[in-house]
Amino acid sequence: MSEAKVKEKKEVAGTPEKTHFPPCRDACPVKTDIQNYVWLIGEGRNEDAFDIIRSVNPIASVCSLICHHPCEQQCRRCDVDKPVSIRHLKRFAIEQATEYRRSKRKAVPKTRGKSIGIIGSGPSGLTAANDLADLGYDVTIYEKGPDLGGMLSSAIPTYRLSREALREDIDDVLSKGVESVTNCNIGEDITMKELREKHDAVLVAVGLAESRSLPIPGVDGPGVLLAIPFLFNAAYGKPTGIGKRVLVIGGGNVAVDVARTALRLGAENVEMVCLESEEEMPAWDWEVEEADEEGIKVHHRWGPKGVSRDGDTVKGLDVVKVTSVFDESGRFNPKFDENQKQLIEADTIIITIGQMSNYDFLKGSSVERDERGLLKWDRATQMSSESGVFVSGEVVTGPGSAIAAAASGHRSARAIHLFLEGKDVAAGLQDEEIARIEKLPPDVACKVKSVPRNETELLDPKTRCREFIQIEIGYDEMTALKEARRCRSCGGGALVDQDKCMACLTCLRICPYDAPVVTNASYISPDRCQACGLCAPECPARAIRMFGYDVDSIRNEMSAYIGKVDPSRKEPVVAAFMCSKYALDKSVSLPSNIRPIQVHCASRIDTLDVLKAFEAGADGVAVVMCDSEGCRHPGVSRIVARRLRHIQGLVQPLGIANEAVGHLKATEGQDWTEGLGGIAAGIPVRGK
Amino acid sequence: MIVGSQKPLDEIWGMVKDSKNVLVFGCNTCVAICHAGGEKEAESIASLLRTKAGQEGVDMKVESMGIQRHCEPEYFEPVMDRVRGYDMVLSTACGVGVNFLAERIGKVQVCPGINTSFYGAVESPGVFKELCAGCGDCILHMTGGICPVARCSKTLMNGPCGGTDNGKCEIGKEVDCAWYLIVERMKTLGTLDQLAEVRPPRDWSPGTAGGPRRLTIEHLMDMEESEE
Repeated sequence: MSEAKVKEKKEVAGTPEKTHFPPCRDACPVKTDIQNYVWLIGEGRNEDAFDIIRSVNPIASVCSLICHHPCEQQCRRCDVDKPVSIRHLKRFAIEQATEYRRSKRKAVPKTRGKSIGIIGSGPSGLTAANDLADLGYDVTIYEKGPDLGGMLSSAIPTYRLSREALREDIDDVLSKGVESVTNCNIGEDITMKELREKHDAVLVAVGLAESRSLPIPGVDGPGVLLAIPFLFNAAYGKPTGIGKRVLVIGGGNVAVDVARTALRLGAENVEMVCLESEEEMPAWDWEVEEADEEGIKVHHRWGPKGVSRDGDTVKGLDVVKVTSVFDESGRFNPKFDENQKQLIEADTIIITIGQMSNYDFLKGSSVERDERGLLKWDRATQMSSESGVFVSGEVVTGPGSAIAAAASGHRSARAIHLFLEGKDVAAGLQDEEIARIEKLPPDVACKVKSVPRNETELLDPKTRCREFIQIEIGYDEMTALKEARRCRSCGGGALVDQDKCMACLTCLRICPYDAPVVTNASYISPDRCQACGLCAPECPARAIRMFGYDVDSIRNEMSAYIGKVDPSRKEPVVAAFMCSKYALDKSVSLPSNIRPIQVHCASRIDTLDVLKAFEAGADGVAVVMCDSEGCRHPGVSRIVARRLRHIQGLVQPLGIANEAVGHLKATEGQDWTEGLGGIAAGIPVRGK
Repeated sequence: MIVGSQKPLDEIWGMVKDSKNVLVFGCNTCVAICHAGGEKEAESIASLLRTKAGQEGVDMKVESMGIQRHCEPEYFEPVMDRVRGYDMVLSTACGVGVNFLAERIGKVQVCPGINTSFYGAVESPGVFKELCAGCGDCILHMTGGICPVARCSKTLMNGPCGGTDNGKCEIGKEVDCAWYLIVERMKTLGTLDQLAEVRPPRDWSPGTAGGPRRLTIEHLMDMEESEE
């Protein structure tokens, strides 16, 4: 035989690339690796969690406060109880990592020799600037308003989005060397032509920054305001001109923002009127509930007919009953019953029925618009009709979330990079489809323990609606840890190396969720796997790895965990493998002879980890794990106890007594340190 | 499959203690399935040996690795140079693997890390049971599928001995009497009368009584010979 035809099986190590996205990640427009960062928060690793979040989301702080969190709607815990409170966990991690993120800020060398002008500094403009700066381009942002952030700084009320949080995101981007020009009106301060001459590519990311009005009688004149200018004035502490009784027309999220802002500006009575019923109303349920708590009444299914005035003074809004909002094909097509009408009294009316863009700044450029006045653009390349002018954000996606605009910014940045590199933009923008993990199968869901969601508190409605302060109270550390542990780590579970597996059935037999399917090798279904990790330490062929967790990490670092072992010690050196629930308990301080080793769950403790502890000089091992009530997985405490008995047998010929391999099942809320101390006290010093 | 179990650590230590550079060499087939000698167990033994060496103050390097099977030459090829770099290989393959490696490795000593026990099945998770003795002349069709060679303590061929006791063997209450099982099974099958047939004495020569065995399958041999 000239050459070996049987190849040596490759050594598997580290953490594999994810092959499936859990539904939370799939739902996130920027595909944040939520499972990973929530897991890291549960491990007390907030800075690492921040890195994961920030790696795809340049408006991370903003999203931690105002994201509509589509991830939570898709959380597979919905099939058991309530979704993991992902947004609040994100906020916790980011706030904890503030100093860390500031320390990481540094300029990126401008290596490309090309520059890009970005019009607009909202979520998509900022995101594109971030990405292009990372790629080594010279980036300048042009912002119409006095501050960067677009609508984030000029319209979102501060009781929802603190400007300090926004500033952190902006400072991250600017620190890369991105230039910015504020109070800059394109077309007046600088023309499109000049921009095109100055930059190698231009990105139009102006968003929908103007309010639509209503073509109804009486609308022009004092006492009738448009949402965006009103929010702008409120954001900058300028007079808004509202009276005591404010009526907001509209049922979307901006309408709720406007109503709650009016209340905080001192209006005595704020009401809303919208075409839709409570169920049809487009604003998020929680926004409406919070407004309701603050005393804002909503008139559902009334359509505006005219502003009633007494001379110049607004008396109220004439409305007619809405019989239906959408037609049979689901299109917006409201029908009215003209016989049912009323006057809703108010002295100020704020119109919040939608937004649009003003493209006057494009005059003189060859960027074309369609018959409706919207920008013409190519979905495949993010490019407008003028080569080198790209578009992103709500200009192209229509009204949407900040994070959707950020996703669009990422895509445009990629498009610009491909374009400037002279590559095929459309081909380069095609994304590889990644499979999505399906819903939790019912026979798995019934094995998942219900754990109440840790709701965050809001400030009291009576006091909160009199000032512009952040109304959400974030998690404290212990609550964040608890909430993070509710995550089922979908997609963060086991992966079998088909090349090494010899189909022995061990994983199939040990799995509490019947996730492995074995044919000629085992396949662990990501739909079913709950990432308990019981299987990996039992695999006799070492064929199982975990997504997002290096199964070798603990044993590889064992010498560091154990540290120095004094040959003349009186107290035994004990390697304490502790479930992170206990390892992260800050109220506990362990004596120096107990060397803590944090494990995600005792299920993941491998025989080899324990043997390595002895090899590194430990006199004994103590495992602190949850009792069967407290553990998030069924059967772990029983299986781990059995595993430890096996280890006792293995080390017995080394003269190591059974007492030197101890464990305790801790009960949440009860002192476990005494138990640990008891185990340690019973361990003899080796060789004595 | 072939079932084995790890040798006591003290016995292993006795084999390796004078070596400087030891490889614990796992086999990822039969003996991995019974958690005796696969890659994971090889790693465990290596760790135990390192701890032991530390305790004894012996300067010894112990490493571990595994391959798919120790009973076919091709599997050794990619790793053989590396394996020859040790002065002692503690094989955790079955006895077949230890023999097979010893024939090929040259001057490096090969020692067994496990005791090869029997051909068995997984009766239930963690319970392995001997069901075949590899006697070379199968008669299971005559005994209701229950082997008296492997499962009768005396390898009796013509019914139970006087030691049968309510279905159990006289050697231990946990051991089934194979002939009791055979009779019960054949009753169920309605073939009990077959036991009354007189059969010629058994020829034991296809078993180990005939010396070391070898099987050749001609059409699988010399696959790489050039066309004549």
